[in-house]
Amino acid sequence: MGARAPAAQTTGTIDVGVSSVRYDGFLPSAGRSHRRAGTYLRFESGHRSLQSLLAGSFLIRPAEHRWRGELGGSLGASRYLDFASFWHATADARLLILGADRGVWIGGTAGRTSYGRAARPVTAVGIGAWMQRSPVMVGGSATRSFVGDTAYSDVVSTAHTRRGPLALDASIGARFASRGGGRGVFGEASATLAVGERTVLFVAGGRYPTEPVSGSVAGRYVSGGVRLRLASPARLSARTTIPSASRPGTPADGDPVAGVRLEVLPRPDGVVRLVLYVANTAAGVELAGDFTDWQPLQLRRTADGMWETVLPIPSGVHRLNVRIDGGGWIVPAGLTRAADDFGDEVGIMTVP
Amino acid sequence: MILLVAATLVALQAPAQGIDPRLERLDSITRPIVAALVDSARVAALPTEPLVQRALEGATKRAPADRIVAAVRRLALDLGHARDALGPTASPTELGAAAAALRAGAHPATLTELRRIRRESLTVPLAVLTDLVGSGVPVDSAAAAVLSLAAKTRDADLVEFRRAVERDIALGAPPASATAAAAAVTAEATAVQVNAGARQQRPGRP
Repeated sequence: MGARAPAAQTTGTIDVGVSSVRYDGFLPSAGRSHRRAGTYLRFESGHRSLQSLLAGSFLIRPAEHRWRGELGGSLGASRYLDFASFWHATADARLLILGADRGVWIGGTAGRTSYGRAARPVTAVGIGAWMQRSPVMVGGSATRSFVGDTAYSDVVSTAHTRRGPLALDASIGARFASRGGGRGVFGEASATLAVGERTVLFVAGGRYPTEPVSGSVAGRYVSGGVRLRLASPARLSARTTIPSASRPGTPADGDPVAGVRLEVLPRPDGVVRLVLYVANTAAGVELAGDFTDWQPLQLRRTADGMWETVLPIPSGVHRLNVRIDGGGWIVPAGLTRAADDFGDEVGIMTVP
Repeated sequence: MILLVAATLVALQAPAQGIDPRLERLDSITRPIVAALVDSARVAALPTEPLVQRALEGATKRAPADRIVAAVRRLALDLGHARDALGPTASPTELGAAAAALRAGAHPATLTELRRIRRESLTVPLAVLTDLVGSGVPVDSAAAAVLSLAAKTRDADLVEFRRAVERDIALGAPPASATAAAAAVTAEATAVQVNAGARQQRPGRP
């Protein structure tokens, strides 16, 4: 699964590493793996396995709307020795509704899969949500899948965070209401450390469930290696359970204003709604900018704990700062920072 | 420059009358100098509102007088350079955005080329250019991306492009590569766009 999308879509990576894996019902084994347009595994026994997957999707993304449609497809095959061969072909559609730092999706999958005999139908429905609370992005999903006579439900929660070149991902889930798909708890974790623009060291491990669609058997593994990027990176939106945000932004490490985020929402009637999320308890939040003549403006607290104001702000580029409880003027996440000529920083906001 | 120096000298004798009342928030030393700079800009047909706002920003942030004067003076110079690059027909908002782009490091030739290839307002493309540079994208890469999009891309799509770059940078992509990838997607997109990052970039399972 090294090529996450067709080459024309800008990504191309090779993972080279070693793994220790224990498939359920099989003897433990170690192996060397090479990934590009697929995964080639050579086990201690000398046996080999070859997997390949081609996946991609189209986003239907109308401007100035919060919803996205996504149509995707997956075509894969795998083979181990001469007796275990799989293939699958599926298509999926999703409706994503995106907020500034949260979103939900609902979707469905349909296709065919085969395990060395007549192909079986695949259908699945799912729903999920994600939320960013800097610097951590969390998400959750629930799916119900049918593969021929097999049926199972999965619930999965995920978390992602990044500190400089180090990125951490974790997931935990459970399979239940299963008929032939296994059941139980599973979870995985991974860490990647970027050591250059095109080189990443990675280590990963955990337990994953049987995947009847692609024919992978449940197993536990530890894996480590190096990823070499051959082409410009893809859009790194995390589709599986965390759809991309319309304006996620992430405060830099050590950011003194982490937890303060501004969302700019232009309205068709020419006014702009400014919504400020403040992680910590605040008694008062003020905003000043070139659209207030730099007079501090007290924001109104909303029922859901946000701070907001609605102002007529003309189209163009604007400068602003906020302050909390009479403290220093700061730049909230969600704005571009610039030096302000006065020894500090100012936020830059563009109103189309 | 000569004009601005002269304005500063004149400011020492300038009467308070005619001064923008908002500048009353400045101290008695700063106010006449800033007022003179504003008047000079007006005479030179440059927008004055950004200068007033820059002074007010300094006052709100309790900046020293010399810093406020220096900031206003520098902005006036930037606005002049912006007009030189964009031409006399540039709107005040365009000039403000262009001044910010120049301050961020954009080359005047980039601004001139933008004016040549785009019929619509340059305010948003210039703001996007400034934002990209502020996000760590090398100036040349940011300029190339904006120039490649400016001719045919709507303001809303440019804003979406900038968000896509921010998102990808936040998720770990190198700024220049994120810009190039997002620009390629935006350029080919109208209603349907290809989602190149359909799968997570996490290490795979064996």
